[in-house]
Amino acid sequence: MMRDTWMDEPDRKVSVRSLFGIDTDLDVPAFSTRDPHVPEIDEAYRFNPEVTLAILAGFAFNRRVMVQGLHGTGKSTHIEQVAARLNWPCMRVNLDGHVSRLDLVGKDAIVVRDDVQITEFQEGIVPWALQRPVALVFDEYDAGRPDVMFVIQRILERDGSFTLLDQNRVIQPHRFFRLFATTNTIGLGNLNGMYHGTQMLNHAQIDRWNVVATLNYLSREEEARIVLARVPQLDDDAGRALVDSMVSMAGLTRRGFAAGDLSTLMSPRTVISWAENREVFRDTKLALRLTFLNKCDEAERPIVAEYFQRAFGEELDTPSQWHDESAR
Amino acid sequence: MNDSRERARRDALCAATVRALTGDDALHYRGGKLYRHLRPVPLHAPHLRGEHREEDDADSTRGAADASALRIAHSDAALHRELAPGEPVARMVFDMLEQLRCETRVPSGMEGVKRNVRHRFDAWSLACYESGLLDSEIGLLIYTAAQMAQSRLSGRAVLEETEGLIEATRAALAPSLGNALAGMRRHRHDQRAYAVHALEIARTIGEMVQEVRHTFVESDSSDDEEEDAARTMLGTWFDTDDEHGELERLALAASGDSSAREATGEAYRIFTTRYDKTVRPSTLIRAALLREYRERLDALIAARHINVPRLARMLQASITVPRRDGWSFGEEDGRIDGRRLAQVVASPDERRVFRRERERPHADCAVGFLIDCSGSMKASIEPVTVMIDVLVRALGMAGVTTEVLGFTTGAWNGGRAKLDWLAKGRPKYPGRLNEACNMIFKEGDAGWRAGRRDIAALFKADLFREGIDGEAVDWACSRLIARDEARRILVVISDGSPMDSATAQANDPNYLDQHLREVVEKHEASRAVEVLGLGVGLDLSTYYRHHFAVDLSVAPDMTLFAKLAAWLGARRRRTT
Repeated sequence: MMRDTWMDEPDRKVSVRSLFGIDTDLDVPAFSTRDPHVPEIDEAYRFNPEVTLAILAGFAFNRRVMVQGLHGTGKSTHIEQVAARLNWPCMRVNLDGHVSRLDLVGKDAIVVRDDVQITEFQEGIVPWALQRPVALVFDEYDAGRPDVMFVIQRILERDGSFTLLDQNRVIQPHRFFRLFATTNTIGLGNLNGMYHGTQMLNHAQIDRWNVVATLNYLSREEEARIVLARVPQLDDDAGRALVDSMVSMAGLTRRGFAAGDLSTLMSPRTVISWAENREVFRDTKLALRLTFLNKCDEAERPIVAEYFQRAFGEELDTPSQWHDESAR
Repeated sequence: MNDSRERARRDALCAATVRALTGDDALHYRGGKLYRHLRPVPLHAPHLRGEHREEDDADSTRGAADASALRIAHSDAALHRELAPGEPVARMVFDMLEQLRCETRVPSGMEGVKRNVRHRFDAWSLACYESGLLDSEIGLLIYTAAQMAQSRLSGRAVLEETEGLIEATRAALAPSLGNALAGMRRHRHDQRAYAVHALEIARTIGEMVQEVRHTFVESDSSDDEEEDAARTMLGTWFDTDDEHGELERLALAASGDSSAREATGEAYRIFTTRYDKTVRPSTLIRAALLREYRERLDALIAARHINVPRLARMLQASITVPRRDGWSFGEEDGRIDGRRLAQVVASPDERRVFRRERERPHADCAVGFLIDCSGSMKASIEPVTVMIDVLVRALGMAGVTTEVLGFTTGAWNGGRAKLDWLAKGRPKYPGRLNEACNMIFKEGDAGWRAGRRDIAALFKADLFREGIDGEAVDWACSRLIARDEARRILVVISDGSPMDSATAQANDPNYLDQHLREVVEKHEASRAVEVLGLGVGLDLSTYYRHHFAVDLSVAPDMTLFAKLAAWLGARRRRTT
């Protein structure tokens, strides 16, 4: 068991303007010492002002914040990076269809004490976090089964206590316990065929989230800056032009997806991988093929090639998997 | 055939790019022209026109598409119409200048777009030069203005090949256009401010063209050629807008709209529905004959050696989505299956005591086939029936609901509806004038096994008469919409345009055409049903946005079915 080195509460206030560069007079509570549970700071990370404010509201005013967005927009990272800068301990829990009530609440486990086997109740992640100044992040919230998610119904209320039925014990949440969630869909299930395995969420529960922030794709300039921050080798004139074209290409795939021409799209994460892979392979086209093209349906590859031509002015070959078209 | 397929492929790719560049998903190509929903998008600049497109130059096609996209994205069409001058030549020049403005606004990081657009303009310039359009004074004047504006806006030199040719005209124009050209460059990011300067140029050129024309009239022109060249230039260069009366009629006729509808200003009309009926053809055929038909169909299919289970798997792959569906027991890992705990005790070596959630492909989909049972289809009804029967069977195996419907008319030449019309003293523009007859070969709730004999009724070709496609498509769609399935696809199988001689005579030949396009468009827009056109030896792109042509003069084989399966499932994302 990890030694609890918690500071009990935040001991200082920091200005949002100086820490995040957002134009607001808000001060938020923060911890002065780092703890093993505080995520690492990523200096290259760029904050989206609106979402950052929503998350900060969650930390400062104890709001339950849900961040929704397409994949690869950096929802979870966003919460982590805010926590990292506030030195706020943060736990990420990945939900999936098999996370059960026992995992969240706790279960009886067999332990050996004084050379005797006994059954002892072991707290699950929810009661554990609830008693500490921790930001608990439910990742992929919409992958959790709605019936199981009712476990957290009560702690979604600001001062809602948590009853451990197995122990007849009521847990009062710590004053600086915070709860966040990230999700791809807004709880209506897999509407566009992109997120298999997501659930229809119960809207009585969605309703209990005080703040729902949407993290959409960034502006071109912003996205190009992020890629350059990640792959600093590209930060010269030729590299910047290249990244510009990459981001344009990603924009085309996103609009192509919205129009129904593609069934996959390039997320900012894909663009970053593409730029990184390009450094590995020293070949933009090969890197694109390995990063994105091979994820696309074969019928859609010519469209991707067409986008590539628009962004780069060069042809991208899309050899067929089944037969060699050029041989005909 | 191969050529047209290649062109269709290229159009599809360009359309996808235009959609991605503009973010407008209603744009698509029909027969090489850009459409938004049902209407062609007016593309005003000469160098975007399809007629000038060299078919073997892929970059030109791309350039035209990209330039159209830039125009759609960066120009406010309403403002443009409001500012445009009335005089045709001035208007044409004004349109062209607006297009050139948009072409300067390529977003950064789009090297290829920039290159394609430039290539398109140069290719057009060369084509003008080579086709002799510049031999006429008017042609040269307009061409020079275009080159000067383009060069000024993009900041690159004029085309080398024609530089000498335009030299004199350019020098003559420079003093009167110089200021305006500079102003255009300055304001190229502001449509309204730019238009002030563009208008000035357009008026100047317009007046110069008028002057040249007057000279011809006065000299009682022996120079007919000159006049012709000017007209060709205007005629082929000019694309029309929705508002300009005289020009509009030309465009409508070309795209096959109904003049009767235009004259009355009314929606599609039906003279009488009194004699319309819906029948089950299988009930009209003797049982013995129907059995014989079915045997013939079975023999035909057997001779084809079609692997139906494989086709079913292909359809399953393209149409179905995985869905959580119960448990699978006896697994090596997963969750413990409580009922097998006793087994753990009794035989500890047996490890398959776990259970897992099972994901199975699930097809929440209904496919309707609507067969055009007009007289001309008699020739190809055998392969069509084979195709339908195989697809219905394979779709059934893949868990997809299918319906087989048909449409024809109850009589030739208007039948009783026309007699009624004659008795009423032939009122003008009566609308659809025949007995519509809808046929149900197989209902959605019946499986292939139950409906197989009824499908064979398609062989009864003496029921086939004329065809009123629009109403039939509407009827088939409403049948599909009434079903519970989340995704509904209607495949219309036809070998030609709607045809009903009485309606065509009493109204005009395009009356039913226009209605069909409207109906298809309506359902495409509502997205409740995906309407696909399957052309029997014919390209149906005029009517259906999603179309596919099959050549049924050779017997349908597995390759064809594989393509059909991919085509049927291709638009799975459009349901959002």
